[in-house]
Formats: sequence, C-alpha cells, structure tokens
Amino acid sequence: MNTQIVKEFEIEQPIAEVWKNLADPAEIVVCVPGASITEKIDDKNYKGEVVTKFGPIKAAYAGDIEIVELDEENRKMVLKGRGLDSKGKGSADMIMNGTLTEEDGKTKVKFSMDITIIGMLAQFGSRLINDVSDQLLDQFVENFRAKLAGGSVDNTMNAGSMLGTVAKSIFGRKK
Amino acid sequence: MIKCKTSKEIGGMGHSKKRKEDARFIQGKGNYVDDVKLPGMLYMDIVRSPYAYAKIKNIDASKALEIEGVVAVVTGKDLEKYGLHWMPTLMSDTQMVLPTDTVMYQAQEVAAVIATSRYIARDGKEAVRVEYEPMKPLMDPFKALDEEAPVLRVDQEGKTDNHIWHWEVGDKEKTDSVFDNADVVVKQQMHIPRIHVASIETCGCVASYNKVENHLTMYMTTQAPHAIRTVIALVAGHVGLTEEKIRVISPDIGGGFGGKVPVYPGYVIAIAVSFLTGAPIKWIEDRSENLQADSFARDYHITAEMAGTKDGKIQATRFKVLADHGYTDASANPSKFPTGLFSIGTGSYDYGASYMEADAVYTNKPPGGVAYRCSFRVTEAVHAIERVTDMFAKKVGKDPAQLRMENFIKKEDFPWASPTGWSYDSGDYHAGLQKAMDAIGYDDLRKEQIEMRKEGKKFLGIGISTFTEVVGAGPSKDFDILGIKMFDSAEIRVHPTGKAIARFGTKSQGQGHETTYAQIIAEELGIPMENIQIEEGDTDTAPYGLGTYASRSTPTAGAAAAMAARKLRDKAKKIAAHLMEVSEQDLEWEPGKFFVKGAPEKSKTIQEIVFAAYTNHPEGMEGGFEATHYYDPPNLTFPSGAYICVAEVDAETCDIKVRRFVAIDDCGNIINPMIVQGQVHGGLTQGIAPAMYEELIYDESGNILNGTFMDYLVPTAVESPSWETGHTITPAPHHPIGAKGVGESPTVGAPPAIVNAIVDAVSHLGIKHLEIPVTPFKLFKELQKVGYFDNNA
Repeated sequence: MNTQIVKEFEIEQPIAEVWKNLADPAEIVVCVPGASITEKIDDKNYKGEVVTKFGPIKAAYAGDIEIVELDEENRKMVLKGRGLDSKGKGSADMIMNGTLTEEDGKTKVKFSMDITIIGMLAQFGSRLINDVSDQLLDQFVENFRAKLAGGSVDNTMNAGSMLGTVAKSIFGRKK
Repeated sequence: MIKCKTSKEIGGMGHSKKRKEDARFIQGKGNYVDDVKLPGMLYMDIVRSPYAYAKIKNIDASKALEIEGVVAVVTGKDLEKYGLHWMPTLMSDTQMVLPTDTVMYQAQEVAAVIATSRYIARDGKEAVRVEYEPMKPLMDPFKALDEEAPVLRVDQEGKTDNHIWHWEVGDKEKTDSVFDNADVVVKQQMHIPRIHVASIETCGCVASYNKVENHLTMYMTTQAPHAIRTVIALVAGHVGLTEEKIRVISPDIGGGFGGKVPVYPGYVIAIAVSFLTGAPIKWIEDRSENLQADSFARDYHITAEMAGTKDGKIQATRFKVLADHGYTDASANPSKFPTGLFSIGTGSYDYGASYMEADAVYTNKPPGGVAYRCSFRVTEAVHAIERVTDMFAKKVGKDPAQLRMENFIKKEDFPWASPTGWSYDSGDYHAGLQKAMDAIGYDDLRKEQIEMRKEGKKFLGIGISTFTEVVGAGPSKDFDILGIKMFDSAEIRVHPTGKAIARFGTKSQGQGHETTYAQIIAEELGIPMENIQIEEGDTDTAPYGLGTYASRSTPTAGAAAAMAARKLRDKAKKIAAHLMEVSEQDLEWEPGKFFVKGAPEKSKTIQEIVFAAYTNHPEGMEGGFEATHYYDPPNLTFPSGAYICVAEVDAETCDIKVRRFVAIDDCGNIINPMIVQGQVHGGLTQGIAPAMYEELIYDESGNILNGTFMDYLVPTAVESPSWETGHTITPAPHHPIGAKGVGESPTVGAPPAIVNAIVDAVSHLGIKHLEIPVTPFKLFKELQKVGYFDNNA
C-alpha cells in the first residue's frame, strides 16, 4: 500500500544549525523513533534498522538509506530508504523530500514522505498506518526540537503509548 | 399449505421435520476434520509469501530445524524430485503446489513446516527465512491485456500474453441488428467484486499413508470426496498410489459454499509428506490463510446492455465479461463451461436475441474462482440482467414491477427455449411476483416513497429481483468434470426389521441431507424417516458421485434416492402379492403398505414385506432388499424467485438500512419446508453480504487490505433484517419428485434486489447505478458527484 505524509513545522533555530543536523544521518537518526544506523558505507550510503510495533504486529526493517540529493545552497534534500522485514514478511520503501526556509531567524521545515509497504504490515495494519506514521513523525519533530535545544533524546519506541495515542487520534476525530 | 401424502409418523415430503443431524451439532458432538486425531500424527503449517510477485532467491530453514520438535521443512525443490510441485486445476490449467522459483500472489504457499505439534509448527514457520526479489505485480485485469504487460505465466511454453480463454454464446449478428434498430438501449458497466465464501470452518486435512499396506486415508474438508479420490489417483498414480488404495473421508463440514470443491496445495503437500514419512499429517488453515489464499468467488467485470421498445418490451441483451482469475484458472466449473452457467443471464423475460462473450485473464491474485453458493457464475449473470432490467424500466418510464410483469415468460410457454440455448423446464413468474408484491404492500410503499421524499429526512427505495436459476448439474451429454460425467447416486439397504441405511455420492456441508434424503425415501417407501440412516462422505462405502455444490444434490442424488426407492417398491409389490396370494395387478399402494383393491383390510406393511424379503421371498427372486440408482438428469432444473427489498437511506449520513425483505421462492416440490426456509435465510444473508459489505480489496502492490475478519465484513445477525419468506410451487416436470433445488437461489437473487432498492431510493437525486458493495461511504461519494450536497449542505 502507498501512503503519503506531508508535514510542516517550525524550529526556533537558525537555518544553518537545523541543516547541519538534518543533513547528517548520524545526527538525525537519533531523533527517528525506533531507528538506528548500523553501518556507514560512504557519505551517501548507510545501512540502518527500524523497529516498530503496534498492536500485535512488530516489524523490524533492515535496509539501506541513500542520500539522493543534498543541496545545501537551496536547503533541499532527498532521501531514499528501502527496508526488508528481518523475518521475510515484507518490505517498506520510502522517498523523503525535505526543504528548509528561513523566516525571522526561525527555520521552517517542510517535508513529504512517500511510503510503500508490502506484506504482513500492509495486510494487518493498513487501517493504522497513516495514524501511526503521523504519530511517529510528531514524535520525531519533538525529538528533533529537543536535540537542537540541547536536551536529551529518547528514541525508543513505546508500543503501548503509541497505540494509545493512535487510538486517541482515531476516536478523537469522530467528535 | 403444502399437501403431504404421508402421515406425520412416516414424515415424507412436505413435513417440517427437525433436522436429524442437529442433535450432534447443537451438542458440540459433530466430528470435523480437526477432531481427527491419529497416533503419531504430525502437524503442518505453511510459510506464505508477503509479496504478490517475486523471485525466490533463497529459503533458509536452518533456524526452523533447530527448534525441538520441527521434523522437516518442505520446499518446492523437494517436491520437484517427485514431480509433485505442480498440479492440474479442475479447468485443465496448472497450479503450483509449492514454488521452485517464483511466487505469483500474496499469501501463496512457499514452504511447509512439519512438527510434532501445531504450536511448534507455527514457531517453525516463523523461523524460516525466505529471501525474495520482489517484482512489480500485475493487479489490474484490464492492464493485464495490454501488449506491454509482462507475461505472468512464463511456465507455459510459448505463452505471449495474459489471456486465458475466450468464450461466447448466442447469435451475435441477430443481436447486434436488434440493438441497431431498437428504440431504447441501456448500457452499464459493473464489477461483481472478488469475495470469499468465508465458511465458519476453514479448510484442512489429515493425510494418513500406511506404508505397509500402500494405502492412503485422506480425511479432508471436501464437498466432492469421490472426485477428489479420482484426482489423487490421477496425480499420484505415477508414485504407485492407485485409486483402490485411496480412501477419502469427508467428515462433518462447517460450511462449504463451493470453497471446498477445489484441491488446494496444502492437501497435496500433506499427502506427499505422509507418503514420504509414513506419519499422518494434519493441516488446518487459520482464518487469514483461508481468506487470503483459498479460492475467491466472482470478480467479473461486466458490460451489460439491454435493448427494447419505447413502450417497454425487452428485445435483446448483450453482455461482455472480463474475468479476473488470478494467476491460474482454478475455477470449479464443469469442464465444458469456462464461464459456468453464465448464459442463464437472459433472465426471466420473453425475448429472442442475446449475445454474450467473456475473456479471462491472469493477474497476481490468488487463483480461482469458485461457485460461491451458485451454479457457476449464475450470481454474476443475475446481477447483470436484474440491474439493466431496472435501468431499462427507468428509461422507458415504467414501474419496474409492471415492466417485469409485461415481459415475463408466460406459464403456458414452458418448456421455453432461451436465446442462449437453455430449455427452461417450468415456472410461474407472474404468480411469484404478485405474491411478493402483495406480501410487501407494493402500491402503498410507492406512495410512502413519495411522502418520504417530500419530507427529506430519509429516502425510501423498493428493489425487485425476479430471477431464474439453473441448477442440478448435470445431464451427462453436456456436464463433466475432467471427463467424469456429473450424474449422482443413491444406494438403499433396508434391513430385515424394516429399518434402512442409505448412502449417497453427495456430501452435506450443512444442507440437512440426513433429514431430506430420509424424507424422500420415506415418501416413496413409507418407512418412517426416523428409521432411515443417511451416510455420505466415505468413498469406501458410498456409491460414486460428484458431490454437493451448485444446488445439485436434490436434482441429482435426491432423484436417485426416489428412483432407487421405486425399484424397491416394485420388488415390495411382488413380495406382497406373493404373501397375500393375489396378483400384482390387484394391489394398490398407500404410503407404508400394499392393500388389495376393494379389500383394504387385507394388506401388508412395508416392514412385513421387507422381513419377508429376508425370510420368505418368492422362489426365483433375489433375496434381500437393496437397490442402487445412478441418476443422469434429462435436463437441469430452473428454480425461480421474486424478491423485493425495501431500503431506507438516511439523507444526511447516507446510512443504509434494509427495512424489509420478502423472498418468494419457487423450488418446485418442497421436501422439508423448514429446511428450505433455513436455506433461504442463510442464503439471503450471504446475499446481503456482497450487496453491502464484502469485497476482497487489493492495492497496486498486491497487498490484500482486508485479510482478516477485522476488515472483511461478514454480516451477522446484527446486520440481517428479519427475512420474510414464502413460496410458489411449480414442479420440475422431468424430475422424479418434481423438486428443483433451493440452496443457492437466495444468494443469487438477493444482491440485485438490494442494490435496486438503494438505487431506487436515491434515483430522484440523479443516481443511475451503484457498484456493490454499496457502503454508506460509496453512496456519499456518488451523491457528492451528482452535486447533492451542494444544495443540501
């Protein structure tokens, strides 16, 4: 299944500082819930892992991250990720486009992610994927802000709380 | 009221006898495949593909084999050594048992794990690591025919496209000419979506091969045990497993609906593993495996057209079908009928021109399709004709009931030759529809509809479906499966004390055969139905027959029971004449006894006569009291029905409620009214299912998006309205007991009635057609398209 997530947020930091953190996979990965870099192949290619869990489904994806474009001048980046479920139960592909713009010393971050999920997670989790992804991104933004503000970041996934927030967002909508 | 010829004690035809089999079912004492437990039995679970289309690069079973209790992991490469990695389908296509290099749909079998317990087998399955190289799947059947589409079945030598077959019937030239000159033509494209039978019991088996005896006992969930035995012999004959060494036992079955006709890879793997290990192998699917991998039903894309005069006379129909069969044609049809009996789609109307054609394609979806409670594609056909009939009525400005009444084939015109080649046996369509209209209060509803539209809170819709079915496959001149003719059988043995056992080539999956067959024999022989034991499903004891599906049991095996009983009654007459020392001509029969004409006090009961057959039979007569009959029907039977659905649509939320549903069925003579009613209730619920809830949904990556009961909505008592049923009786003239079969009528007839009602409810807003399942969301989107909310926000 394909899903697209578009997100915009503001960070009260100068654009150079934000770019520095965002453009370095080693820096950014700390903020991605459940993610870690396992190997750096070269400046543009990394190997990584994402563990995510919701409801009865736990998925661990191991795969490659490629920096397709890193345009410092225009503050624009394109990342491509491809992960295989470690148990052979499917795969996930992602293309992320990110741009930064500066306004009054603050930085506006805009990015979109196109995700394709195949296999077990798509079968059982299709109803939840958009909501979970949305929650994961919110958590990422929070972590990213905290990191830039010099705070500590905990990027371990908490399945219980994740499911709780998702449930809240699903039921919350109905009101 | 149904007139019964027999007393309540005898319980022949027409008596609402309680089902004999229910005593064990309601006490939890049924015996299903999963209840079979054999010494030394091993358990199998199946590793399935997460991809719809992928190359298998490697299967690593080492981690699984480290688990204590995992005995073996079987792959396609293992089966290849014995030539068992491919098998034929019933439609003479081929299907992988286990793949050696490529998977063709999500949830396809990839490897089998054999272990000492079900749980360990599942753990083992989780531990098998398969490396895939995913490819882009072909999910859209229309795109599958594009020239640039990748060819999926590269295993078929010389195959250059994804086209499976082309089929056509009727007079094209004549039909086209009627269309060219017609006043009015309506045309609609519709999809009859892919659905699943979703029976409460999933599929499974216990394959038990005895190496010493070279004998296989196969306990399995099959609707056609004899056919399966023959198929196993044909597939495994080369490894020494010949037909006399195979016993197929089909124990109690928790719903079949056509889904338990095909041979699934799991069965074959279990047999192969039992053959190699000598241990009994049990395989039972879980719910998701059943829903995702077993044969689907329907999935026909139909363009339906109707031509007629401006005053509402139907003159011709034209149907064009694209059939999505998944990666192999694993339909369970009679061999000469690739589209099953789709050509019944001319409907209940009197006109002389029709042309139908169909093309089938391969895609990366599970293979199929099965005849889900349907005589092979009749549901699709009936949906098409009943939808366009309504559209035609709308276009010529006639009430849909009135238009039907004016176009029905008249009672006196039967047998009626249809433009697609059928000879309809009998029917009284006018009486059926009138009865349904009276029951529901048709004219008042039309008035209420106008009132409710004025009020604007809810919209009322009245939908009609007046269908003709074609069941009881079938006459051997046309009907066979892999060459085996589709007659069916009954064998009756009456014991010295006048109690009987009867065996059949069919197999009940909930239809109530143990009761209805006993009633047929009771009707003919006068032996109380309580004293007649019915057995089916064991190929070692039952006579050969092609099983139960397509409402064929009563038309074929039920007829065989009557014919075998009549043979016995002829014998009884001879014995009675002998016992009373009169000539046969002087005897008359009333249920349960022969008496002397004019002297009714001089009589012999059937029990006395049977006892004499063992103790005092006439000289020169064969002893005992047994008969067998193989019944080859001269024609199919043509049950019909008039269904009216009343639906309410909420003007604000688009919520859809079925307020009332009246079903008047004509299945000829009725064997057991209560069982018929039960069949109709179940069938109607399975009719509301595709109309409003069920559809197997795939995304473009090949994922099934509703592969569990969380997302695949099977209607329950909550969604079901209170069904109102009734009947007219037009006996089948060629059938020994005048019965026609009823099991599938409601499933076939209900969906168009429901959709016609919903469309009718919103037709004044500009809606002409709605695709099934009609969900509130879909209706909302359609109303949005016609601008309804622009004015009513």
